[in-house]
Amino acid sequence: MSESSTRKEIVGKLFLVYIAVVAFALVIVLKVLWLQVAEHDKWANANTISQKDIIIEPDRGDICATDGRILATSVPFYEIRMDLKCPALTDEVFNRYIDSLSIGLSRVFNDKTAQQYKRKLVSARYRGDRYHLIQRKVDYIQLKELKTLPIFRLGQNKGGFIVQQENKRIQPFVTLASRTIGRYGKWGALVGIEGAYDEELKGEKGIKLVQRIAGNYWMPINDGNEVEPRNGYDVITTMDINIQDVAHQALYNQLSRHNASHGTAILMEVKTGDIRAIVNLKRNSQGTYSEQYNYAIGERTEPGSTFKLPSLMVALEDGFIDLDDSIDTGNGMVRYHDIVVRDTRVHGKLTVQEVFEVSSNVGVTKLITQYYTGNEDRFVKGLKRMGLTEKLGLEIKGERAPYIMFPTDTLWSGVSLPMMSYGYEVAQTPMQILTFYNAVANNGEMMKPRFVKAISDHGEVKKKFNPEVINPSICSKATIAKAKKMLEGVVENGTAKNLSSSNYQIAGKTGTAQIANEKYGYKYQSRTSYQASFVGYFPANNPKYTCIVVVNAPTSGVYYGNLVAGQVFKEIADKVYSTQIDLHGQEVHADNNPLSIPYSRKGYKKDLIEVLKDLKIPYEDLGINSDWVATEKRDSAVRFHNRYVKDLLIPDVKGMGAKDAMFVLENLGLSVVIQGRGSVNEQSINPGTRFRQGDRIVLKLI
Amino acid sequence: MKEKFVKYFKGDTAIWLIIFLLAIFSMLTVYSATGTLAYKKMGGNTSYFLFRHLTFLALGIGITFVVHNISYKVFYSLSQLLVYASVPLLAWTMVRGVSLNEAARWITLPGTGLSFQTSDMAKFALIIYVARILSKNQENIEDPNAAFKPILMWVLIICGLILPANFSTAAMLFAICLVLMFIGRIRIKHLLGVVGVGVVGVVLFVSLALNMSGKGRVSTWKARIENFTSGDSEGNYQSNQSKIAIVNGGLFGRGPGNSIQRNFLPHPYSDFIYAIIVEEYGLIGGFIVLLLYLFLMWRVGAIVRKSQRTFPAFLVIGLAFSLVFQALINMGVAVNVFPVTGQTLPFVSMGGTSIMFTSGALGIILSVSRTVQPLKEETEDESEIEIPEDNY
Repeated sequence: MSESSTRKEIVGKLFLVYIAVVAFALVIVLKVLWLQVAEHDKWANANTISQKDIIIEPDRGDICATDGRILATSVPFYEIRMDLKCPALTDEVFNRYIDSLSIGLSRVFNDKTAQQYKRKLVSARYRGDRYHLIQRKVDYIQLKELKTLPIFRLGQNKGGFIVQQENKRIQPFVTLASRTIGRYGKWGALVGIEGAYDEELKGEKGIKLVQRIAGNYWMPINDGNEVEPRNGYDVITTMDINIQDVAHQALYNQLSRHNASHGTAILMEVKTGDIRAIVNLKRNSQGTYSEQYNYAIGERTEPGSTFKLPSLMVALEDGFIDLDDSIDTGNGMVRYHDIVVRDTRVHGKLTVQEVFEVSSNVGVTKLITQYYTGNEDRFVKGLKRMGLTEKLGLEIKGERAPYIMFPTDTLWSGVSLPMMSYGYEVAQTPMQILTFYNAVANNGEMMKPRFVKAISDHGEVKKKFNPEVINPSICSKATIAKAKKMLEGVVENGTAKNLSSSNYQIAGKTGTAQIANEKYGYKYQSRTSYQASFVGYFPANNPKYTCIVVVNAPTSGVYYGNLVAGQVFKEIADKVYSTQIDLHGQEVHADNNPLSIPYSRKGYKKDLIEVLKDLKIPYEDLGINSDWVATEKRDSAVRFHNRYVKDLLIPDVKGMGAKDAMFVLENLGLSVVIQGRGSVNEQSINPGTRFRQGDRIVLKLI
Repeated sequence: MKEKFVKYFKGDTAIWLIIFLLAIFSMLTVYSATGTLAYKKMGGNTSYFLFRHLTFLALGIGITFVVHNISYKVFYSLSQLLVYASVPLLAWTMVRGVSLNEAARWITLPGTGLSFQTSDMAKFALIIYVARILSKNQENIEDPNAAFKPILMWVLIICGLILPANFSTAAMLFAICLVLMFIGRIRIKHLLGVVGVGVVGVVLFVSLALNMSGKGRVSTWKARIENFTSGDSEGNYQSNQSKIAIVNGGLFGRGPGNSIQRNFLPHPYSDFIYAIIVEEYGLIGGFIVLLLYLFLMWRVGAIVRKSQRTFPAFLVIGLAFSLVFQALINMGVAVNVFPVTGQTLPFVSMGGTSIMFTSGALGIILSVSRTVQPLKEETEDESEIEIPEDNY
């Protein structure tokens, strides 16, 4: 074959290929035209109705107590509605099953009779209601039961059964510290730790494209572009729910007893500033008390006598006075310009230590005015040096700044110095006073109150918050030692003698302040309002915890801090002391009375009798006929009472998610162990079995 | 201006023009199509993908520029080496490659962190090598032992190695080689035999894979072909979305950056970029892009007619045809005349490897066109002039 014919053949064949390529191209153009013209209507608006992006809400993180127990968590709740005009729901079906459906509803919710349910459903069907509300806030267990009822078990399309899920924030310990834990609703986080750590708790939203397919279902389209939601992190607080419980009860009882308007109690760990318990209670319209406002950080009042400690510490630090110096309190009255400062009793000549122990107003004002008149600035600067003029900088919103005047302020008057010296014309929040006393207990190192110790993701710590020091040393060690001696004296010899205990020693200061009503001044409704407080630490020789209790406007006459607030303090301290073994040291238990009757837990009667016999403790069995008994501590014996255990049976949690199952079972008092991931496949105690509180149930998830 | 351009951008000016026009289309469409991706993956930073793609395009044109200054003869000898090297590389990819959607197609260059699709390299290496064998044996092309059998052996080896991970690329490469052999004057009866062998091979492979497990790529292919043939309107999400895009484009399109379907189409910046082009620039825009590829093929025809030698002719035919063929398949998938495959639109789709190798191929075509241009005044470089004694 010649050179040129080869080329000709190649070019010719190339031309053939080229024609094929052009033909292919033509097919493409024609197909575009075909789609655009012939199939225009089929595709032009195909998408608008069949697709949407849905947002996948992340699970909000939990707020946990220091031991990991959950203080706030999100659980799914369901709103049940019914489409009574659903086409498949014919008269025949409706009329045949309406009775059994009504009976079922009545049984599940236990709020209306079957007749009432039936009447409502029939009239809703008559009206043609396609979105009839059956019940709000239905939990998972109830939902599972509902799904088995006649009509409902046909589902949404055939039975008109509409389920809408929403997440509800719950606090398993209901009222305990609920204000500090905070609130969270559809409108977002508002207050407390929920608000302060919203960023960490809320997680990140996911996006998923879904397409409508036959039967009005939305099917996720796996297009590789979806964004997975990231669930929120858990916030581990420093709170101890057991102590919180005790503090709550103690304060609650005391407020009720004195018909007080509100009160607060805070327990802080000395070394770290950790808030172990924080109670805020306010009387509500029903006359009971609930957590409504965070008084601990948000209410600023004149502290009264508890402020005498910083006053005297300024003078001690400046070297003007010492504990043995004496001062004559005269007849318990002293006049400064137009006001008269009084003591409740005439004490005569007192040492500085005694002035503090008996909380002599006259003594303190005389001491301070003696050394600081004409040099007021030095006194206020002394307070400032100890950190009393600054906010603590809490992460929880709503902390009020302390109010302390300087001599340069326009409101400063001739009586300001004596008034301030015993806790008036200044204002502090309970948390600020507590932080100051804690600094004294901690040998001068002022710790910032710590609410949260870590942020974690399913148990893996993401961020740790270390204890923060506000001021490494608020004053000299010598002044601290003297302050401690005065505080110990108050309980040993002074106004809080009733709080001394043989097991361990408390140190602290009572305070009974008249409070100025914001509108009417000190005399509101011709009665003086009082604020009883007690702040201190224990054990006095080796301080572990600082605690403040403030009870506001006790109107029933007994308004001395030692009685009203001190008792709450003592109850909290006793509980903490009795549960924390490391506080006991080598102290010998003083109580050797062989006849002392212990508090006994309620329990199984036969077992209890056996144990009590073994310990040689007398018991009274007055015609008990139940297997389970409650116990009462009497003077000479443990007395049994009938106790009927409710027929609680293990529910079936198979198929539930871990969170739902945990919620259900832990609410029943079971201790739940989770193994694996996914949903519950196996439970170690069979459904329908009886159980006891605290029983362990193992769930295997797949 | 024009003279300066011709001085630096040697070879066929029309092909250079095609390259620049495609690059502009590419930039506009990819920027628009990555909007959703940027929103979902980069927190809304749309310029991230724009600049990344711009970098690739600039690099690509740089590669074209460098390669078009290299004599195409270099590839004559290099092709053998590249084909030999492809075999272990493909094998390595098959075993240890990075898996995307269950297909192991990528390997990472050690030390650099860069990954590339080995089948892209093997594809061009094989095409060049086929061109070489064909040209070498033009004298005794009738003898099946001279050109036909060696070519067939290599085509089967390379396509066989690509097949498990990337069926469409393997099939396409097979078809390109067949067309090249056809133009290279291999006898038709031999070619028909090859088609038979190819069909048998595929059937054998598929039945083997089907019996081994129900998973892997086989199920993807099966589903795709079933979807295409049955026309099941609910199961074929991607092509339906593509159709919606094309229909809504109309004659003039929604305008640059106004695509709606980019939010619904998977990979709107690569596999389905043609649908986005039609949606934003209409039938007119889609037609222009199609014409650009047809025009490229036409210019290659002109080069072939001028060429005195067979190797450069087969070389440019093979390379150009592979680009145009791939472009047509990509468009065919978008308009649903073809079942869904993962072929990109050469030089337009986003994707580093694809642009790099396409640029290289275009560089070689330009290199040939530069060399075979009629001898004018600018023949300062003696070595560039074809010498009749040359065996290529």
